[in-house]
Amino acid sequence: MPSRILARLGPAQIGSAALLCAVAFVWTTPFLWMVVAAFRPESGGSRDMASLLPPLQPTLANFVLAFESADFALYYLNTLLVVSGILAVQLVTISLAGYAFARLEFAGKDILFTLFLLQLMLVPPILVVPNLTTVVRLGIYDSLLGVMAPYLASAFGTFLMRQTFKTIPRDYEEAALLDGARWWQVLWHVLLPLARPGLVAFSIVSVAAHWNEFLWPLMVVNAPEKRTLTVGLASFAAGAEGGQEWGLLAAGTLLVALPLVVAFLAFQRQFIDSFMFSGVKG
Amino acid sequence: MPAISATAEHPAAARWRQPLAVVQARPYLLLAPSLIFLVLFTFFPIIEVAFASLFRTAYGQRSGSFVGLDNYLRVLQDGAFRNAVLNNLLYAVGTIVPSLVIALGLALLLNESSRFKAAIRALVFLPTLIPLVAAAALFSFIFLPGIGLLDHFLAKLGLRGFNWLGDPDIALASLSVLTVWKNAGYYMLFYLAGLQAIPSDLGEAAKLDGASAWQRLRHVTLPLLAPTTGFVAVIALINVLTAVDHIVVLTKGGPNGATNLLLYYIYQNANEFYDLGKASAATVISVALLLALSLLGLKGLEGGAARAE
Amino acid sequence: MTRMIGTLAAAVAVTLLAAPASAATKIEFFFPVPVEGKLAREMANIAKRFNAEQSDVEVVAVYTGNYDETKIKAQAAMQAGKPPAVALVSANFVLEFKLNDQIVPLDPFLAAEGTNKDAFLADFWPALRANATVDGKLYAIPYQNSTPLLYYNADLFKAAGLDPEKPPQNWAQLIDYATKLTKKDSERWGLMMPSEYDYLGWLISAFTMANGGSYYNSSYGGEVYYDQPSTLGAVRFWDDAVHKYRVMPEGVTDQKAVSSSFFAGNAAMVILSTGTLSFVRENAKFNYKVGFVPGNLRNAVPIGGGSLVTFKGLPEDQRKAAWTFMKWLSSPEQLGSWSRFTGYFAPRQSAYALPEMKAFTAQNPDALIAVQQLQYAQPWFATFNTVAVRKAMEDEVQAVLSGKKKPEAAVKDAQRKADEIMLPYVQSTALTVGTGG
Repeated sequence: MPSRILARLGPAQIGSAALLCAVAFVWTTPFLWMVVAAFRPESGGSRDMASLLPPLQPTLANFVLAFESADFALYYLNTLLVVSGILAVQLVTISLAGYAFARLEFAGKDILFTLFLLQLMLVPPILVVPNLTTVVRLGIYDSLLGVMAPYLASAFGTFLMRQTFKTIPRDYEEAALLDGARWWQVLWHVLLPLARPGLVAFSIVSVAAHWNEFLWPLMVVNAPEKRTLTVGLASFAAGAEGGQEWGLLAAGTLLVALPLVVAFLAFQRQFIDSFMFSGVKG
Repeated sequence: MPAISATAEHPAAARWRQPLAVVQARPYLLLAPSLIFLVLFTFFPIIEVAFASLFRTAYGQRSGSFVGLDNYLRVLQDGAFRNAVLNNLLYAVGTIVPSLVIALGLALLLNESSRFKAAIRALVFLPTLIPLVAAAALFSFIFLPGIGLLDHFLAKLGLRGFNWLGDPDIALASLSVLTVWKNAGYYMLFYLAGLQAIPSDLGEAAKLDGASAWQRLRHVTLPLLAPTTGFVAVIALINVLTAVDHIVVLTKGGPNGATNLLLYYIYQNANEFYDLGKASAATVISVALLLALSLLGLKGLEGGAARAE
Repeated sequence: MTRMIGTLAAAVAVTLLAAPASAATKIEFFFPVPVEGKLAREMANIAKRFNAEQSDVEVVAVYTGNYDETKIKAQAAMQAGKPPAVALVSANFVLEFKLNDQIVPLDPFLAAEGTNKDAFLADFWPALRANATVDGKLYAIPYQNSTPLLYYNADLFKAAGLDPEKPPQNWAQLIDYATKLTKKDSERWGLMMPSEYDYLGWLISAFTMANGGSYYNSSYGGEVYYDQPSTLGAVRFWDDAVHKYRVMPEGVTDQKAVSSSFFAGNAAMVILSTGTLSFVRENAKFNYKVGFVPGNLRNAVPIGGGSLVTFKGLPEDQRKAAWTFMKWLSSPEQLGSWSRFTGYFAPRQSAYALPEMKAFTAQNPDALIAVQQLQYAQPWFATFNTVAVRKAMEDEVQAVLSGKKKPEAAVKDAQRKADEIMLPYVQSTALTVGTGG
């Protein structure tokens, strides 16, 4: 018996562990370079720019330059406001709509659902011009509200909640209904708590997606104090007539990516678990 | 013992019985908040775009004149459009297939809760968390000829690098690598969720029957993962057709149109060539294509989900 | 009674002493940062200084990406009914903005000040005037300008037995030197030039003009000369450099790769914008020198850079405020200080007579060479639907550089595509008998 277990821990296990390490290394190489290059002095040019070895004399000069070039603290705040605002409203709209599609029968249900799914494909970049005009007409041009508006309804979220609700057995609701609960109490006290993994999974996707949104915020907002992180990063990736400061680029990218990465690493167990148990299996 | 007649109403039910009209209106009221935003920012703009596709503003005119389906003809006859469609097809196959295979493979290998595996899962998922423009910025260095990361390490192995983004023959493949790197970890999460939903007794039963790991994979796991695969494939397809940030940052559709994709073609015609009629027509065509493919995928998904239930 | 008078007096006093309600007109200034990130900060500082110096106008400086993004943003803002008051646009987009009827001529402002276009432009370098005027009217004020420049590694020159004080003077010498400097085994190229969209068109026009040609019709936006011998010769030169003499890498290389290779010693000579000069000065760890871009039949370089324009559809007070800002921004002192900070040219000749500029060029002789090349400067390619017509040529040349097409076929196809694109414009102008003007 013990020898069989040992044999099991043999080549196959070690082989797969080695493979996984190799995959993880390849996958993180861009990030490794980013971190190393951000602290490396002499960002302009050297043959060893691609080296993954940490610099002998790490410097914060690139970060200083990055902060000089853009108001990162403000961008963090704006981005935070935008993603939380969007998420707050989305949680309401998708719960209500997901409940309707999952539990209620009504005329035109399939057509309406298909219409919802259309939104998955019709991303803002395709519709920038008409959306800009709409935003101006509503009086929210050049404001964070204008950045949030097109995303407040989410087909993906609705679809996710529908799937999640569908996997919850009806017994719980029926018991509650028999006890005299109104439908919104059923939703609030029974369904939503049981659907928490789905909600968490969606929240992660929503925050990540809107943290990283670029084209729409660029078009909607003019005032420098309302800019988001990605727009701030764009000034580093540009550089048509000048040289490319790779260290600065690495530092800027690090600053933009850091919050989400840190949040994820701190809460990753909850993140991944929620994905697993959300009923998002298809 | 007092008998409760089968037809008598439960006293509690009477309390929440509401007028039929209210009950009937409820679903629509629930959908209303979402629908308001959808109409404002998705449907109305689509109608505007579809409308715009029927007009063309010739030079010197103040506003467009009705040209019927002429814009559609111009789009279909445009070599750049056909090129973009072909590129998108190649890009779709070149990213969706590897992404799914890698995602599934990683999910199978990482479907255990150990500290080690959790760490690997986290590392593979990281690329999803950064903006596409940031990923493109990093890869602009990785793909730099000669001194970039890739060529640097290839040189250490004694191999010559290529002009990753500047050679029309491989530029699209290079961008595909970027996309796979960015998305595989995200799709892996879906597969992990899907694997969790497979009852372990099925696998055990197959093992007792003497099935090998490969056979278990083929005949038990994969079929049960069909709904997940369908779902992920649709998400991946949408990504292929709607995410062009990296093209905007890295290649601008070049070299020589080698990385021109549908959405970038639309963006170019609208913003660089001022041909709103053509851009609108191309948008309508792309959306129709997207719809058709997605509905196909979703039909398979619904079928699979129904079967699974 | 006394109390009432007291209160009244107090009220009057307060009213009299209160600061007059001055409504400073608020205007937006869209600007791109094509050179470096910290320039965005500097521009914000410039706006602050302007606001502090006077109280009639308050400028909000809005960073809008690169030249292309700025153009898109300005036009989107126009369509949304909220155009910016002033924008810094690519110098060769001025024609397009005018043809699309989006910007207004500046002559009325000049007239109100008792001057005119010619007097105003007299202080600007001659090569800049063509891109700033359309149909005899002034539509833009040049703000920052550049030309291509030859940068080379003096140390590598010496190692190859070449005299660093004598850069190549013509195409034949360029190839000759490049051949001596190319070292295949150590991955070193003799010559590298950016060939991505926008840069490539700029450089091909440079080589065409140096080959005796004009590349495009600078008086009429419906004509380009892609398939003329001068252009063909230029494209052949690039093709030969890559495939015959093998001194340049195959395929498309963007300016990031070119500058990075130059710093790493992987490229001995490069042709880059003068806008890169400060960056090179700060970062090159070897002895570098600059020289004129070699010509063939003559020396010729196109200008690049950006100009200030103001848009249609502005309320009257914003338009006046826009002019005030544009005038201040384009004064010799402001142009000089921006030039020193960025490495761009000051578009005004008088800026170079100012003491700070004189001291600067004395300390940085390479900047002086760039200024001396201005005697050979030509206007920047601008036509109807400039980007599409420019790309028509660029796509073809990129195919040539990748070994997929021969120059003869490439220039013919480029001409055909360009003519197709310009047809609507040509049909309603040159091919129509109208009332003129």
